Amino acid sequence: MSDSDGCIIQTNPAAREMFGYPEEELLGSKIEMLIPKRLRERHLRYRENYLAQPEKRPMGRGRNLLALSRNGRELQVDIGLSPIRDGNNLFILISFFDATQSRAAQLALQESEERLRLAEHAAGLGVFDRDLTSDTLHWDARSLEILGLAPDTQITYEKFLEITHPDDRASRLAALGRSLNPEGEGEYKAEFRIIRPNDGSVRWIASTGKVIFEQGQAVRIVGVMQDVTDQKAIESKLREQRTAMESLLKRQVAAQTASAIAHELNQPLAALSAYSEVALHELANIECPEKLSRALNRCVEQAHRAGKTLHELLEFLHRGDLLPEAMDINETVKEAIAIVQNDGYSGFHPKIELETDMPLVRANRLQVQKVLTNLIRNGVEAMQTGGVPAAEITVRVQTLRQKNMALVTIQDQGPGLDDDMAKRVFDPFFTTKTYGIGMGLAISRGLIEANGGELWADPVTGAGAVFHFTLPFAS
Amino acid sequence: MNTLHPTVYIVDDDSAIRDSLALMIEQEELDVLAFDCAEAFLAACSETSYGCAIIDIRMPGMDGMQLQEEMTRCGILLPVVFLTGHGDIPMSVRAIKSGAQDFLTKPVTRDKLLASVRSALKSGSQMVERIARVQQTRSLLSDLTDREREVMMLAVVGHPNKEIARRLGISHRTVEIHKAKIMHKTGAINLLDLARLAQEGGLSPA
Repeated sequence: MSDSDGCIIQTNPAAREMFGYPEEELLGSKIEMLIPKRLRERHLRYRENYLAQPEKRPMGRGRNLLALSRNGRELQVDIGLSPIRDGNNLFILISFFDATQSRAAQLALQESEERLRLAEHAAGLGVFDRDLTSDTLHWDARSLEILGLAPDTQITYEKFLEITHPDDRASRLAALGRSLNPEGEGEYKAEFRIIRPNDGSVRWIASTGKVIFEQGQAVRIVGVMQDVTDQKAIESKLREQRTAMESLLKRQVAAQTASAIAHELNQPLAALSAYSEVALHELANIECPEKLSRALNRCVEQAHRAGKTLHELLEFLHRGDLLPEAMDINETVKEAIAIVQNDGYSGFHPKIELETDMPLVRANRLQVQKVLTNLIRNGVEAMQTGGVPAAEITVRVQTLRQKNMALVTIQDQGPGLDDDMAKRVFDPFFTTKTYGIGMGLAISRGLIEANGGELWADPVTGAGAVFHFTLPFAS
Repeated sequence: MNTLHPTVYIVDDDSAIRDSLALMIEQEELDVLAFDCAEAFLAACSETSYGCAIIDIRMPGMDGMQLQEEMTRCGILLPVVFLTGHGDIPMSVRAIKSGAQDFLTKPVTRDKLLASVRSALKSGSQMVERIARVQQTRSLLSDLTDREREVMMLAVVGHPNKEIARRLGISHRTVEIHKAKIMHKTGAINLLDLARLAQEGGLSPA
């Protein structure tokens, strides 16, 4: 701050730091000490002019101003002037803004804009800019291409509304309406379909933008758009596969649970029937009441009747099983790993060792995929609970020539299985997880066996759990 | 060999099944040995075990199919009757393909079980007889001299003595002497019998 004679009467720490002077050297000195010598005389004239008409304004109006620091270095500055009246005294508040930095920032901005353009191009982004006050629309060439319009099309907002899919017009407008609300964040985000005028194809567009407000009014919206049709197709395919797998899983849980119960009931029935026949045979050698032999005969009959019902139940449960096809096991391994990673189990490094020129195997792809995802997930979970994060899971595919089968091995780096566990892991309802019903491996084994293969675990290997399964070759 | 008493081996992890089936088979005056797992059974068997084995397909640890493979590897020649809770077709096809005698679904009737056991025992004893015969034939054939062996090979494919003599560059009379010795050493009653021995003993024209 200076008085009307140009004497410095007060400084703030930022100003002292900028010029490198202690306060006592500045106070009482003329303001010209902060101006390069060659410019001082001119400044004196400007100062007099200003005093004739003191007002709040930037100094120099758009010119590059130079100031002098204590060590003789010239600084590029922007200067603001504000007159302050105290009775008859006039003081001038002089604000310095270091323009050296802001120029650098400007350059950086230009550079980053350049980079953004490159990125936009690489990502296939189209840029749009709509002035809401004059309702003019600017779309770049990429946007026009995305929307299926000729490069020289004079685009209007009405035209844009027209090519938007009728079913998505309302939701897009609602998203726009929300972004234009001055109370909101000014974020525009919409996904909608368009019908491209050039070929009539329906495409999915994702668009995001930023609304600019002036005095509480939305005046402009700038943003980018992208054709996400292919992405959508992949997403929906993944979703479909997951749904199919889930429903398969549910059916398998039911089937395996029922199978397990049926097996448990069938064993005592078999023993019951055999014991009864043993008793009948013993009775044949001695004089025995007719009622006793009849009762035993009925025991045998009834045991077989119950057994038959169980077998019918099992047949019914397995009737819905999917048909096998000739499939590429290597591809299925890659798909399964992608599915597991997509499901948020990304904290592991898949190590895939595939044998090339692998013959096709004969199996149901979905079922094999289910088994693979199950085993990989188990491995990841075992490593996470075992405190080995971000570890490796190896999936290996080999040929078993002598058996005409493919052998798939899944190995993790978790705590592994002891002898007892290796025997019991495939039992229904056996689990080591806090959450889980212990059907995963029982189901997996059921699925592999249904496809003519075998699934087993190596006991105690020292280096994590190792599961193997085989599948027959198609030819 | 036939004088040996056959044993029926039962391998099942369910004690009630083991016990009831053992009782049933004992009623037929047959020797029974029961095991609760594949490993215990393997430890008790050898190449000379004779009879048949009733094996549950699904057992903890080594299952029935793996046990059968292991038996083949160890040279245990017992015919196998598989027992299963739920026999699906692919599984039974695989079992029969890998040489199982039969594939029974639980609960099994006495008639079915005993019929299977009997036929398994029969094929078991046939197998043992065949092996014994082959061994016997081999030892008979090993008594022959190299020249006798040559003569025998030519004889069993139907060459007359004259032709044999010409081929080997020996006299007709010498061939006759060799032939007589061959018949004496092998105990063959005629040329047809000799041909059978040659086949059984794995003797074939070089």
